[in-house]
Amino acid sequence: MPDIYKAKPSEAKPAADLDEPMEQPIHSAGMFSAYARHPDNIHFENQEPGEQIELFLRRHPVTNLGWLTIAAGMLVAPLILRVFPIIDFLPARFQLVAILIWYLLNAAVILEGLLDWLFNVYIVTNKRVIDVDFRSLIYKEVSDANLDRIQDVTFSVGGVAGTLFNFGNVVIQTAGTAPNFDFVAVPKPDEVARRLQELRTGEKSAI
Amino acid sequence: MPFNFTNLGVPIWFLVKILFLFGIAVYLIFSAVVIKQVRIMAQTIEIPLAAALQALALTHFLFALAIFLLALLFL
Repeated sequence: MPDIYKAKPSEAKPAADLDEPMEQPIHSAGMFSAYARHPDNIHFENQEPGEQIELFLRRHPVTNLGWLTIAAGMLVAPLILRVFPIIDFLPARFQLVAILIWYLLNAAVILEGLLDWLFNVYIVTNKRVIDVDFRSLIYKEVSDANLDRIQDVTFSVGGVAGTLFNFGNVVIQTAGTAPNFDFVAVPKPDEVARRLQELRTGEKSAI
Repeated sequence: MPFNFTNLGVPIWFLVKILFLFGIAVYLIFSAVVIKQVRIMAQTIEIPLAAALQALALTHFLFALAIFLLALLFL
C-alpha cells in the first residue's frame, strides 16, 4: 500500500530533545510593564546568585486611574479661578504663590501615585516569592517565602474593570509561620497562578 | 468702628506670609523625604526608571525650594 504521507528526515525530532527543559526566553521589561516574564533588566536587593526572576508583577495600569483623575483635576483647577475668583481677596503676589503651592501639592499627588505603583511589586523567582511593599513615605516591608512552602494558589477576577482588562488577585497560602501573599490587581492572574503551580510542582519534585 | 486686624496693629499680610512660609517649609521636608524614599526604593528594586525617578524627586525638591525662596523674598 502506498504511503499517504512520509515525514522528511529533517522534520523528525529526536525523542530525547522533547525531554530537555525548554530554554526560557529572556525579555527586557518595559518601563511601565505590569507583567514581565524573565526580565533581564530588573534586579532586587538580596537576590541570590543563580536566582532568576520568573515573573515580575505590579498592579494593572488601569488601577492608577483614581489618582490620575485627581491629578488631572488639580492641574486644571486654577483655571476655575477665572470664573469663580475665590482668592481675589489676596494681593496679586500672594495669589501667585498660592497657585504655585497648589501645583506643588499636585506634584506630590503625581509623585506619590507613581512611586506607589512602580515600587510596590511582586516577584516570583525560581526559588521564592517576594512581596515588596512601600506604604506611606517611610514604611518598607519585604516578605518572601520559598516555593516549597507554597501550599495553595488561588486567583480571582472580579468587577467590570477586572473582567474587561483581565486583572485580579492571586492569593498564595504558605505553610507554617511564613506569611501568606496577596498579589493585588495583577494582570493575567490565571497565568500567574498556573506559573506558580508549575514552579511549585517542579520544586517539590526536585526534593 | 468695624472689626479689622489692622485696627489691632497686627500686620495681617505679614502673618499670612509666615503661614505660607511655614506651609512651604513643611512641604520642603516632605520633598526631601521623597528623595530619600526614592533612593531606598531604587536600592530595593533596580528597575529601568529608577535613575529618572531620582532626577524627578530632586527636581521636585528644587522646585519646592524655589517657591520657598520666592515666598521669602517677594511676599
